[in-house]
Amino acid sequence: MSKKLFTLFALLTIASLALAACGPAPTATTAPAEGGLLMGMDQAELEAAGYVVYAPSEPIRIGISSGLTGPIPDLGLDTANGALLAFDDVNAAGGLMGHMYESDLQDGACDGDQGTVVGNLFAADPSIVAVQGGLCTGETIGLRAIMEEARIPLVSASSTFPGVTAPEWTVMNRTPLPDTLQADVDAAYIYNDLGITSIALIHDSGEYGLGLAELIQGSFEALGGTVTSINGHQVGDTDFRSTLTTIGTEGAGLIFFGGYATEAGLIASQMGEAGLTDVIFMSGDGALTEQYIDAAGAAAEGTYVSTGVGDLNVDAAAEFDAKYEAKFGSAPDGPYHYHAYDAIMMIAAAIEQVAQTDEGGEGYLIIEREALITAIRSTSGFPGITGTLTCTEIGDCSAGGIAIYVVQDGAFVQVSGFGLTD
Amino acid sequence: MAFLNPAKKTWGISLGPSAYRLVGLVILLAALAWRVNNVLSLQSYTAQYWTLQLINGLILGGLYALVAMGYTLVYGILLMINFAHGEVMMIGGFAGYFALTGFQTLGWTNGTPFESGLSVVLALLVGMLASLIAGIALERIAYRPLRNAPRLVPLISAVGASFFLQYTVLLIFGVTPHYYQKPAIISSGLSVGDTGVFISYTGLFIFFSSIFLMLMLYLIVSRSKMGRAMRSVAESKEISALMGVNVDKVIVFTFALGSVLAGAAGVMLGLHNTVMKFNSGFFPGIKAFTAAVIGGIGNLPGALLGAFSLGILEAVGPSALGLPSEYKDVIAFSVLILVLIFRPTGILGEVLSEGKA
Repeated sequence: MSKKLFTLFALLTIASLALAACGPAPTATTAPAEGGLLMGMDQAELEAAGYVVYAPSEPIRIGISSGLTGPIPDLGLDTANGALLAFDDVNAAGGLMGHMYESDLQDGACDGDQGTVVGNLFAADPSIVAVQGGLCTGETIGLRAIMEEARIPLVSASSTFPGVTAPEWTVMNRTPLPDTLQADVDAAYIYNDLGITSIALIHDSGEYGLGLAELIQGSFEALGGTVTSINGHQVGDTDFRSTLTTIGTEGAGLIFFGGYATEAGLIASQMGEAGLTDVIFMSGDGALTEQYIDAAGAAAEGTYVSTGVGDLNVDAAAEFDAKYEAKFGSAPDGPYHYHAYDAIMMIAAAIEQVAQTDEGGEGYLIIEREALITAIRSTSGFPGITGTLTCTEIGDCSAGGIAIYVVQDGAFVQVSGFGLTD
Repeated sequence: MAFLNPAKKTWGISLGPSAYRLVGLVILLAALAWRVNNVLSLQSYTAQYWTLQLINGLILGGLYALVAMGYTLVYGILLMINFAHGEVMMIGGFAGYFALTGFQTLGWTNGTPFESGLSVVLALLVGMLASLIAGIALERIAYRPLRNAPRLVPLISAVGASFFLQYTVLLIFGVTPHYYQKPAIISSGLSVGDTGVFISYTGLFIFFSSIFLMLMLYLIVSRSKMGRAMRSVAESKEISALMGVNVDKVIVFTFALGSVLAGAAGVMLGLHNTVMKFNSGFFPGIKAFTAAVIGGIGNLPGALLGAFSLGILEAVGPSALGLPSEYKDVIAFSVLILVLIFRPTGILGEVLSEGKA
C-alpha cells in the first residue's frame, strides 16, 4: 500500500514538474542593448516600474472577460465575439510597430466572484496591458477592484449600472450608456406613450437587475406614476407564479423586470397562468437576445425590451455584421457586440498613442501603464461603430440613446426611442 | 450523526429538554398565529387569490412528492441519502426535452389532440427511461462498491456523483438553457366559471399524473412480491438474505422505482417551468429532500405529506406572513429546521425496527 502511494506521489511530482516546464517561456530571449531598454532600465526593472514590455515580435496582449457561462451565455458569447472581431481588424491593419494584438478570453461567468478570479489571472500576467470586460455589472465590479490595484485599464462594453464608473475608479471606463438614461426613457415611454400609471417591479437581486428596477421606480414615481410593489427573485429562479399571483391583486398595468434573458422570458410566459393576460411585460438590455424570445415562447409577442444603442455608424455596422457572420457563422444577436468592438478599438488607439520602442532599436515595445490609463480616459472624438466616443472624467465614453423594442413575430422591432427612422 | 440517524431521540422520552421544547413550540406557534391574524386583517386578499396560490402550491407539491419518493425509498432501504437524485431528475428532463423536440419536427406537438397528447405521454416515458438508466448506473457505479463502507462514504460518493452528472450534462449540452415548447394540448388552461380562478392544463396534468404514479408506487410496495421483498430488506438486509431474498436485485429495483418517478418529475418540471439546464435538478432536489425529511424520511406517506405541505407553504406562506414571495425558501428551510428540532423523525416518522434505530 505505502509503495503504491509512494509511486503515485512520485508520478504526481514528475507530472507537476513537467507542467511547470510548459509554462510561459522566459520572455527576454534576445539580449537587451547595452545600458538597458529605456532610461537605462532592463525589462525586469521596467516591469517593476509600471511598464509593459514586449520583446521583439511578441504580441500585445489584451484580456477579455465575458460571461460565457452563467445566466446569459448567449449575450456573453456575442459580446466576446464583437471584441474578438476587433483584434482581426487591428491585426489586418498591420498591428503596431511589428507587434500583433492577441486576445486572452476568460469566462467571467456574469458573476462577481468569478470576476475576481479572472481579475487575479490578468493581474498576475505581466503581458496583459489592458482588459475589456466584464459582461455583467457584478462581474465588472469584481474585476474593477483588482485592475485598479494592478493599474490595468478596463473598458466594459455592457455594464450599465450607474455606479460602475466613479471618480475613485481611475482605470474603469465603459462604452454603453448607463442605466440612468434607460430608466428615464423607459419610464417616460410607459407613462406617456403606453398611458400606464401603475407598474409592478421584479428584479433578480443582482447589482444590475436591482439597480435598474430601483432606477425605474425613481423615474416612474418622479413622473407621477405609482409602483405597486418591488419583488426580488434570484438569478436561476424558474417559478414566478407565486409572485405574479400577488402582483395580480395589485392592479398594475405593466410589469417591469430588471434582470437577464431567461428569467425575463419565464416571467413573460408565466404571466398568463397567473391571470395577468392584459398586463404588459417589459424588460431592459439584459434581456435583449434571442434567448429571451426562446424562453418566453408565444408569450414574447407584444412584450417590450429596451436597450442603450449607439449613434450607429450604419456603414461600419453593416461591414461589422458581414465580417461577424463570416467569422462566427451566425448573425450578431444581442445589444453589445458593437460596444465591445469599439472598446477594443479604443484601447488599441490609446496604446498606439503611448507605445514607445526601446532606445537601442531592437524592436521592443514598451507601454507605460499610467500613461495608457490616462490615454484611454482622455479618448475624445473617437470614431466608433456606436458613434463618436468621448470619455467623461469618470470614464463614461458612450454615445447614442435608448431604443425600445417590441417583439413582433418572434423578432425585436423598434417602436420608440433613439435612432428610429420613420 | 443525529442528522443521519434521526430516530435515536424520539418524541417525549426524556422529559427535561422536551418540556422546554414543548413550551418553545407553543410560544412559536402562538407568535405565528398572531402574525398571520394581523396580516390577514390588514390585507384584503380575496378567496380567488388564495385559491390561485393554493393551486400553485399543489402543483409544486406534486413535483416535490415525485422526487421525494426517490429519496425516501433509497433511504428506507440503504439508510443513505442519494444526493444525486436531483440530477437523475434533470437527466429525465433533458431526455423529455429532446423527445418533445423530435415530436415537434414530426408536427405532433401541435397536431391533432391525440397526437399532441401522445407526444406528452411519450416524452414522459422517454424521460422515465433515461432516468431509469441513469439511476441504475448510479447505483452500480457509485454506491454498490461502497455498500459495506462506513455510512459517510456513500454520502460523499453521492455528492461527487451529483457534480459529475451536472458537469457532464454541461459539457454535452452546453450552458445555454434548453427551453421546452409546450405541446398544444397542455399549453392553455381552464377558467373555473367567472371566479377568476385559472388552472393551467400543464398544472392539472402534473397534479393528476403525479398522484397516479404515486398510487402505482404504493400498490407496488404494498401489494407485489417485490414490494414485500423491499419492505423486508428495509427491515434488515442480513435476515432478508437469509430468507432467500436477493438483496442486490431489490436494491436495484428500489433505485429503478425512484429514478422512474424522478424522470417523470423532470419532464413535468420542464413542461411546467419551460426551462431545463445542467443545474435544473439541483435546487428542486434539495427541496424534495427537505420535503422527505419534513414528512419523515424512509416513510412513503410521510414524503407525500411533506411534499404537499412544503409546496403549499411556499406558495401561501409568504402572503400569509405578510412577506414578499422571495422569502419562500426562507420559510421552507425554517420549517425544515423547526421539524428537525421539535420532531427529528419528521411529521409521520419512520416506523423503525430495533436494529435500525
